[in-house]
Amino acid sequence: MHHESTGWGTVLSHTDQFLSGLLITVEVSVLAFIFALIIGILGAAARRSRFRILRVIVGIYVEIFRNTPLLLQVFVAFFGLPALGLPLTNFQAGAVALAANAGAYLVEIIRGGLAAVPPGQLDAAHVLSLTRTDTFSRIVLPQAIRKVYPPIVNQFVQIVLGSSLLSAIALPELTGVAQTVNSETLLTLQSFGFALILYLIVSNIISVGSNLLGAVIFHPPLEAGGRSAGKGRRRWLIIPGTNKEPRLKSGV
Amino acid sequence: MIVNASNIQKAFGDAQVLKGVSLEVDAGEVVVLIGASGSGKSTMLRIIAGLEHADEGQLSVCGTPFAHGKPTSPFNGRVGMVFQQFNLFPHLSAIENVTIALRRVKHLSKPQAERSGVAALENVGLGHKAKSYPSQLSGGQQQRVAIARALAMEPDLMLFDEATSALDPELVGEVMKVMRGLAESGMTMIVVTHEMEFARKAADRVLFMDNGVILEQGKPTELFESPREDRTRQFLQRVRGAED
Amino acid sequence: MNLGALLGSSGLLWSGLLLTVYLSAITIVTSTVLGAVVGFVRASRVPGLSAILRIYVELFRGTPLLVQLLFIYFGAAYIGMGWVTTFIGAVVGLTLYEGAICSEIFRAGVEAVPPAQHEAAHILGISKWDSAVRIIMPQALRVTMPALIGQEISLVKDTSLAAVIGFAELVNQSQAVIGNINQPMLVLTVVGALYFIICYPMSVGARRLERKAAR
Repeated sequence: MHHESTGWGTVLSHTDQFLSGLLITVEVSVLAFIFALIIGILGAAARRSRFRILRVIVGIYVEIFRNTPLLLQVFVAFFGLPALGLPLTNFQAGAVALAANAGAYLVEIIRGGLAAVPPGQLDAAHVLSLTRTDTFSRIVLPQAIRKVYPPIVNQFVQIVLGSSLLSAIALPELTGVAQTVNSETLLTLQSFGFALILYLIVSNIISVGSNLLGAVIFHPPLEAGGRSAGKGRRRWLIIPGTNKEPRLKSGV
Repeated sequence: MIVNASNIQKAFGDAQVLKGVSLEVDAGEVVVLIGASGSGKSTMLRIIAGLEHADEGQLSVCGTPFAHGKPTSPFNGRVGMVFQQFNLFPHLSAIENVTIALRRVKHLSKPQAERSGVAALENVGLGHKAKSYPSQLSGGQQQRVAIARALAMEPDLMLFDEATSALDPELVGEVMKVMRGLAESGMTMIVVTHEMEFARKAADRVLFMDNGVILEQGKPTELFESPREDRTRQFLQRVRGAED
Repeated sequence: MNLGALLGSSGLLWSGLLLTVYLSAITIVTSTVLGAVVGFVRASRVPGLSAILRIYVELFRGTPLLVQLLFIYFGAAYIGMGWVTTFIGAVVGLTLYEGAICSEIFRAGVEAVPPAQHEAAHILGISKWDSAVRIIMPQALRVTMPALIGQEISLVKDTSLAAVIGFAELVNQSQAVIGNINQPMLVLTVVGALYFIICYPMSVGARRLERKAAR
């Protein structure tokens, strides 16, 4: 019978390993997120373009990557692509799969954000004779960015959590390290428990950090809420002192 | 002549919304369009603003001829429009809403634009709210900012598309006050509204639209007291019934 | 492309597909029930319970499903519960994870019903239980349907993670088949197509429901 305290002590002595794993997790996630954003922006533009062929191609890409499992996509990147002549390291394959997967979701998120700008905004801009460029960059884009900010942050969290699958292609990210430590020490609960704690800390840091960043760069501040479920994540914190006067409805 | 429209026709899909509308508005005139929903009054206004393209007909607004149903060159602020849903830019403060077109379209410098902008906001009684965002303003205040935004461009023509329909009753008054003041100062206005009091007090001419045509028009007293057409009478009775 | 060899291994893929469907079906039921209970309890703000449930939800949403599965399956063996099979581990892990996400969907659905509805029911003298079941829930369900279906689609895809703890579902079997016939792209494409055939119709259905609900 192991003493729980010795168990944790042993596992915690591997903290260096866990942190290196965490570093790889962060590296692959950030890289994938950057590429996913690029895909998302280009894809959303393609979906809104006049050319039907562009819309169809991106549409097919989105449906394929949203209706098949990420694990399968990781295997295709790592086992399938080399057979087609494109050998990738496990890090590269992982980044590619994560980026392609998240990119599909981001295409829809960004497209949705642009479409959510009310047509009345375009009317007002048109009547003021703002140019099409100005209308897009100064009226539509700022509003769309405010709309897509929370779902995009959430997608980043999903990438970080999804990177755990890369352990299946032997990438020594956090989950892979936990498995290694588990097989060495046989202290299962502690090994995976430590990993769970680290993931929890990271996802919370991302959420809180994005809230703070949002409070800094968005004025007026983003609406409180975010009670969206499903793919949505946190409730937004209302950070005291950064909001201006309370919201008035007509009639007050 | 500020607006010279003849035989404007417009269809949306299968529905023929405007079936040949002709309208002349002189400088300084205040013209009020009334009619049931679907009669085409908003569509007519939007065509004049260049937001919709007429299918048929001749049109010239503020000296700009139309071709293929749309203006041949941008109005650059000569036509101002105020919308039912205000359409303020929510990410910009009141003063930023008012000055964005002054800077980007009229190419005023920042200090010049701010001066004009603050003056426009003060004219509608909201100089003290320049830095507020639309979400911090009541509906009536938002609509007044929208009016200031249009007026800051020094338009020759102001269009109002049911400007008070989305407001709580106690806020309608403050917007109506601004609109009446504008009418008295000699602005050329075309106003689509359900507020008959405004039509009575401020309009030079009232046009009743029904089913895509102008059924009847005349001075407010004439139209309201002794309408010639049956449908005009029916409409006015229905509206009066709601007001009583 | 050697289709013949693939057909020879089709038995493996077929059994994998069946297990995927089986695991999905069971977990859809258990996670939806769990999610509904947790979601409704949280929405009704029972004091002590809500805090505990909130910790549960935040814990399972803020950590990867894969690590949860590893923790549960290998952890069970560690504490001496050797009877926990890969199937049981997968069901428990998936239920807890998807249940947490489902609970957020249900909670949002209940909270989306305007308070005026509760008030109207109260004034009419309808009991709390009746108003919850007959007035609030139907409205909440209508709003949550599209999101729920989206969640079920994710669940079907998430069953693939059970492969990592050795459950012989479709992705797991695909690895075996690749081992046999060494045509990774072909096998993975076929497996992908099978998932697509299951998930895509659900996606389309969810989108249609969303459009209807928006009207």
